[in-house]
Parts: sequence; C-alpha cells; structure tokens
Amino acid sequence: MNPPFAHVLTLLLLLPIVGAVVVALTRRESESLHKLVGLGVSLATFALSTRLVTLFRDTAGMQFEERQAWIPAWGISYHVGVDGLSLWLVILTTFLTPLCLLGSWSSIETRVREFVVFMLLLEAGMIGVFVALDLFLFYVFWEAMLIPMYFLIGIWGHDRRIYAAVKFFLYTFAGSVLMLVAFLVLYKTAGIRSFDIPALVAAPVDPALQTWLFLACALAFAIKVPMWPFHTWLPDAHVEAPTAGSVILAGVLLKMGGYGFLRLAIPLFPDAAVRLAPLVGVLAVIGIVYGALVSLVQTDLKKLVAYSSVSHLGFVMLGIAALSTTGVTGAVYQMLNHGISTGALFFLVGMLYDRRHTRAISEFGGLRAAMPWYFAVFLLISLSSIAVPGTNGFVGEFLILLGAWSFSPWLVVAASLGIVLAAAYVLWMVKRVFYGELTNPKNQGLPDLGLREATVLVPLVVLSIVMGIASPLFTRRIEPAADALVRLVRERTTGPQPAVAAAAPAQPGAAR
Amino acid sequence: MNDVLDLRPAVPAAMVAVTGVVVLLAQAFTPKGARAPSFSLSLAGLAGALGSVWLLWSGSGYGAVLAGALAADGLALFLQGLVLAVAIVTVLLSPGYLRANGLERGEYYALMLFSVVGMMGLVASLELVSMFVALEIMSVALYGMAGLDRRRRESQESALKYFVTGAFASGFLLYGIALVYGVSGSTSLERVERAIGVAGAQAQPLAVLGAALLLVGFGFKIASVPFHMWAPDVYEGAPTTVTAFMAAGVKAAAFGALLRVFDYGLGGLAQHWQPLVAALAIVTMVIGNLAALAQRNLKRLLAYSSVAHAGYLMTALVAAPMVAGEAILFYLVAYAAVNLGSFGALAALSKDGAEPLTLADVAGLSERRPALAAALTVVLVSLAGIPVTAGFVGKFYLFGAAISAGRIGVVLAVVGVLASVVSAYYYLRVVVAMYMEDPVGEDRWSHATPAAAIALALSVGATLVFGLWPAPVLSMARLAARSLL
Repeated sequence: MNPPFAHVLTLLLLLPIVGAVVVALTRRESESLHKLVGLGVSLATFALSTRLVTLFRDTAGMQFEERQAWIPAWGISYHVGVDGLSLWLVILTTFLTPLCLLGSWSSIETRVREFVVFMLLLEAGMIGVFVALDLFLFYVFWEAMLIPMYFLIGIWGHDRRIYAAVKFFLYTFAGSVLMLVAFLVLYKTAGIRSFDIPALVAAPVDPALQTWLFLACALAFAIKVPMWPFHTWLPDAHVEAPTAGSVILAGVLLKMGGYGFLRLAIPLFPDAAVRLAPLVGVLAVIGIVYGALVSLVQTDLKKLVAYSSVSHLGFVMLGIAALSTTGVTGAVYQMLNHGISTGALFFLVGMLYDRRHTRAISEFGGLRAAMPWYFAVFLLISLSSIAVPGTNGFVGEFLILLGAWSFSPWLVVAASLGIVLAAAYVLWMVKRVFYGELTNPKNQGLPDLGLREATVLVPLVVLSIVMGIASPLFTRRIEPAADALVRLVRERTTGPQPAVAAAAPAQPGAAR
Repeated sequence: MNDVLDLRPAVPAAMVAVTGVVVLLAQAFTPKGARAPSFSLSLAGLAGALGSVWLLWSGSGYGAVLAGALAADGLALFLQGLVLAVAIVTVLLSPGYLRANGLERGEYYALMLFSVVGMMGLVASLELVSMFVALEIMSVALYGMAGLDRRRRESQESALKYFVTGAFASGFLLYGIALVYGVSGSTSLERVERAIGVAGAQAQPLAVLGAALLLVGFGFKIASVPFHMWAPDVYEGAPTTVTAFMAAGVKAAAFGALLRVFDYGLGGLAQHWQPLVAALAIVTMVIGNLAALAQRNLKRLLAYSSVAHAGYLMTALVAAPMVAGEAILFYLVAYAAVNLGSFGALAALSKDGAEPLTLADVAGLSERRPALAAALTVVLVSLAGIPVTAGFVGKFYLFGAAISAGRIGVVLAVVGVLASVVSAYYYLRVVVAMYMEDPVGEDRWSHATPAAAIALALSVGATLVFGLWPAPVLSMARLAARSLL
C-alpha cells in the first residue's frame, strides 16, 4: 500500500472532526459558508473513502489496519481496520452524509452552524464505530455518537422533538451501559490484559459466562437494530427527527446494531451465539411480521416508513441468526440496501413535507399528475423497498431467506409473509398518495423535484438499481469476511472443521 | 525520615498557610477605599505551593515530618496537587462572582487558603490524630465560607447545618479513632496496620467497630447516603464558588484520607468493612440519583449528583488497594474538573441575587451565551459518564476496579451503570433547557469575567483532555497509589 493511504482510516475519522471544529470557529451569521464547508468536507471524506474500495483486496482479513497504544496500562489501543463486514458500511456513511447536508440545504433554517457541526461529528462517530477494533474505542464511538444525534432530533425536530430526543438517548444509553460491564468482565476473565477485539476473539471464554456476556451485548445491539420488542424508541425518533436525522438514523445508525452482532457479540461469544440463535431468529421474524402489520395501518407517511424499518431490519437479523455464509452476506447486503432505499424514502417524505407541512396520507391523492418526476422516483424506491427483482432489495432478502433455510424452514416461511405484507403496505400507500383524482386543492400546482432535490435522489436511485443488477461487485467483498466469521463460530462450537466441509454451504449460486 | 530538620515535605502547606496570613494582614493594612490584593496574593501563594509540590513529586522529596505524622509520599503529593489546582481555579472564578453578589471581603480568600491547608494535611497524615486536626482545620474554615453571604438566610442555614453535621461527624471519627487506638495502642497508621495483623480474634470486634465508626465519620464528609442529608442544603445555600470548592476539594481530600485509613491502616479488616462499603455504595448511588431526578434547582440537582458520585467512587473500594487507589485517584481528578466546570458555569451566570438558578432560568441559554452553554454541556455529559470526557474514563476505571474484585464488584458495577442511566435523564434535562427551549424574558445573565472564563476553559479543557488522553494522569495515579502498599 502506498504511504499516503497507510493512514486512510485515521484521515477518514479526522476529516469530519476537523471540519466540525473549523465550522464551529466561524461566525454564527455566515450560514452559507457553514453549509458549503460542511458539504465540501463530507464530499472530501466520501472521495477519500472510495479509495478503500479501490484498494480493498477480497480476502477475509483486516485491511488498512492501524494500531497505536492509547492507555497502555489497561491494554487499550487505538486500533482500527476494515474488513468485508465493515467496508461498505463505512462507504454508506460517507455516501449518505453529503446527501443529507445537501438535502437539508433549505429545510434547516435555524442554527445552521450547529447543525453542520453535529452532522460532521455524527459522521466521524459512525465511521469510528465501523472501523474500531478495540472494545474501548468501539464503546467510545458508540456512545459519543449519541450526543450529536440527540441534538439533531431535539433542536431541529418536529413538535414532540424533546420527548423523542430524550427517549432515544435514554433507551440506547440504557442498552449500552450493560455492554460496558460485559466488556469489563470479559477483560477480567480473558486474562490477556487487552481490549483488542481480534486478540479477545482468539481467547475463548467459558461458555457458561458467555451467555450472560452475550445477552448484555445483544441487548445493546438489539435496541439499536431495533429488534422487536425493543423497537419502541424508533417510531418516535424517526418521526420527530428532521429529514437528515431520519435518513442518518435509518440509513446508518440502525446498522450499528447488526454490525455489533457480527463484529462483537457473535465472534466473542460463539457458543452463546449458537445457543441463542433460535431466540434471535424468532424475535427477528416477529419483528418482520409485526413491523409490516403496523405499517399497514399507519396514517402518517413517515411513521409508515419508520415501522417498515422494523420489518426490514428483521430480515437482517434473521440472516445473522442463521449464521451461514449466505445468510450473513445477505444480512450485510440488506443493511446497505435498507440504508439506500429507506434513506431515499425519508428524503422523499421530507421533500413532500417541505412543500405541504403535513405527512398525513389522507391529505394526498393524485400527486402523480402534479409531480410526475417525484412520483417516478418514489415508485422506483418503493419497488426496491419491497424487494422486486432487479432492485437491490431483492438480492438481499433472497440471500437471507436462502441462507436461513437450513437454519429453520419455518422461520423462512413466516418471514416470507413479511414480503407479501410489505408489498401490501407500500403499494397501498403509493396508491393513496399518487393515484386517483387530485382532489385536495392544496396539492394543486405543487412544484416537481428541483435540481437540488434531484441531485440528492439520483445517486440513490442509480445505486438501488446497480446494486440489484451488479450485486457481485458488492457481495464478493463481503463474502470472505462473512465466511470467516461463520467458520470461526463452527470451529469454536463443534471443534475444528475440515476446510471443504466448512466451505460447502458457502457456495450458493445466488451469491455469485 | 531520620533527618528531623528536613522540613521540605511540609513546605507546600506552609506556603499556603503563610499566604493566608498575609492575605489577612494585607486586608487589615489596606487603606480605606483601596482594594486589597487578596486575589493576586492568593493566586501567587497557591501557584508557588503547586510548584513546590511538583518539585517534591519529581525530585526525591518523599519523606515524612513531625515524627512521621505527615508524609510527602505519592498519595499525599498527588492529592495536594489536585487540591491546589482546585483552589487556583476557584480563586479565578471568585472575583466576578463576589463582586456580583456584594461579597468582596478579604477573609473569603484567607478562609479558603486555610481550608486548603487543612485538606493538604488531611491527605498527608499518616497518623490519626493529626488527620483529625487537619480535618477540623479544613472544616472550620469551610463553615465560615458557607456562611459568608450572611444576609441570605440560605447561606446562614448552610453554615449552621454544615457545622452541626460536621461536629456530629467529628464525634464519630474521634470515637472510631479511640477504639482503633484501644486495639492497637497507637494512632500511627503503620502501627495500626501491624497491630491488626497480629491481633488475635478477640481484638477483632473492637477494631471492626472502630472501622465502622470511622466509616460513618468519613461518610458524612464525602456525603454518602445515609449521611448525606446536609449536602443539598449546604450546597444550595453556600455561595456558588464555595460550593464548587467544597464539591471538588473536600471530596478529593476526604477520599484521600479514607483510602489511607481503610486501604492502608485497616487493610487487614478488609473482609469486614468491604461489604459495608459495598452496601453504602449501592444505596448512595440509587438514592442520590433518584433524589436528583426530583430537583428543579440546579445547585440542589448538582448536590444530589455529588452524593451519587460518592457512591460511584465507593464501588472501587471493594478492589485491592492498588487497583482501588488508582481508579479513585483518577476519578477524583476528573470529578474535580467537572464540578469546577459545572458550579463554575453557574457562578459565572448568576447576577445580582438572581440565584437560585432553576431549570427555567437556563432555558435558551445556548442562544444567549453559546460558549457557556457548550461548556456546561460538556461537563454535564461528563457527569453522566459519556465519552469522550474524563467522566467516562473515570467511571470505566472505577467499575473496572470493582469488577476485578469478583461477583460483588459486578453487582456494584451493574447498579452503577444503571444509576448512570437515571442520572443521564436529569443531566440532559439541563441540556434540553439550554438548547431545545426558547429563552424567556430579557437577557438577565451576567457575562463571565476573563478570569472566570479562564477557569472554565481550564475545567472544560481538562474534562476533554483527560477523556481523550488519560494515560499520563493515570500513570501518575498509579504511582501515587503505591503509597497504599
């Protein structure tokens, strides 16, 4: 690797932080400057992060690793790196942040400086979670990132923003603190005086203890995902947050839960993970069906999208619970898809809200005539959200169901019900909003997508199709890491596996 | 140790004491109408003392004076440095606040300096009687400071309450010291430790009772439940800068003495007092945080939060002395920075009797005083124990230390982190008021004086720097904790 890119991850972390500091030091009145600097910095971060993709080698190991002692007495180090599980999530973060800043260009009118500062800090925090390879570092990013999100919801949110912000904060904070205790217990029992994740993964933990530690971590991650029944913070936070907040929340923050399972809970506590996988699977499927059913009865567009996230993330968790290469690959892929399609849906709902200042489905109808381009984009994204073949959603859900079949056919059958329901609630919503006569006079003459809005949406639309057609471009980078994880779990729980046997379920035609 | 005439270990405390006398005299000899240079004198004296502590720390200054009663070992120097730093920041905070509240009197600085002398003696005492004397020097000065604003009833109440409960605590301490002396035949901690090691089972009940009484006495000073009743009233009634000084300084000094007495002198009885400490820690964390939930007055809220923090600190005491010492010493540094920041921000805010500050009083602060609101946010986040602040690293070590003690420690840590979640709610309520609510009425807030701004910048800076880069302070704390071996 050429020297400038030896520290690419550190640069990715520092760039938004430096940008935030610069913006914070400028005068409060120069709002366009804040927006421009914010956009510029986030675009630069994205440009830098693309180097990760081009330099990435399709192997299972950690890449772009950096390690620096931080608190030597406790074996804590600044250790970062990416592998197939985290690569695309980092890219997703750097990709969505500039879009969010661009998307909020005119809808955020107050305290622009603070908004840009918090968005950039949030970006750094999210990247940090995905690249951290030290438990302490991971926890620092995991928690620190709550603060900017809390402010985003609480300052720029809608009517019940304070309630939603506090609920979001306390819910996630309560979930994570027990994880901290689990980390400390792990540190003490592992006996290697280190918080390094790869080192701890290599040091087996007593299976009896694993269950407790797994549960403590799983609670933190399950709240973040969110898995049923820990999802109740999500509709409030999503609905009350400003558009950019909802996009980041749905697009990236929720992925930290699934990622946490893959990076920490499962490899650190494989015995417990295998033992408790049925529980995770059942909760995931309940989430799929429950989220879809609740979406069906929503009268508020944003709430509908929010509850659909519960359903979509249920698929992700099913793929993770299956603990097969295909399932895990599908889960990671579906996390990206959800980030793209739900992110886009929140943008779209936000754009409609900017025009009408309402999100009630009953206020609309016949918008197809007034806003044809908007309708086209909305329909396309909706199709991706309900996993129509040819869109990204299809690949992800298909891989997950395929990977979960050997885990439990019954759960797969039940989860398929969620797909049907998804089609129902999404298409019904599309019908109510766009088809029929344009009866509401307030909807007459609504402007169609502007240039700025189109600029935000086009990359998302393009990606949802590209990821539907050219999925191997993405999955071949995910798969080796997913396979390594699955193999690690098998070796730990059932003893060493012959390489062939372990690799056998790892070659589904669909993933190729 | 043998060189009787080597008084170097006593130099820092002596410098502060002399400065205190000079401040008083300067006050007396200042012509009417002119202002006595109390502020600069105090600052110079404290800075000089801090410098000499540093020289002792980095040089070969370890040793003891007064026949082994006062030591200049790692623990003493670490905490003396901390107490001096706390005093310096408090002095910086003071002029603006005193002027705004009509309290500009020279004895304020003198009393603070004498109290610092007491704190420095408290953390340096290797002997129970001198420890008691130092504790009284510290406390008597503080009683006076708490009642400085004598026109305000709350301030009078604060002083009286502090005095009465303080006297009560002194009684327990003395009785405890007497019992320990009865068992060991000495008040020197070194001899106490040895005597308890060799004492048979028949001497044990007496020693345990003595330890329990000492624990009650210290419990008052560190404001642990159920000996915390005075804290909210005293913290609320005292002038805010005095509250800042008490919260940061007294806790550091009292915990330093507690560490030395229990983890060193009474270390042999650990299996007896540790369960007691664990139980106290749990009720302190739970009750402190639950009571803070109900507070509307910011000073009372912070007072209950200070009670809760005594509980967090106590969790580490179940660990081995070195581990506990390291974690507690680091946390005391973090806690001092955070408390000076939070009470200091309140002191910088208040204006011509506009105290007490309620939540409603800070509504919309971020619009009017963005820097101050940001500073207060950082320290509140640190109090809640959220990264990237010193409060998080501190709690991480405290609970880490507790967990190293086994099952009981895990229970303590779980209670501790859950209590932190509760605390996040009331800390965040302040942030909500500052950032998410609109300002009410006209702008009544005062501007921070340059000196107060420096003090706040120091506190907030320390909170962030020790949160991001704790290793240097941590290794110093580790070095200091060796004194407990």
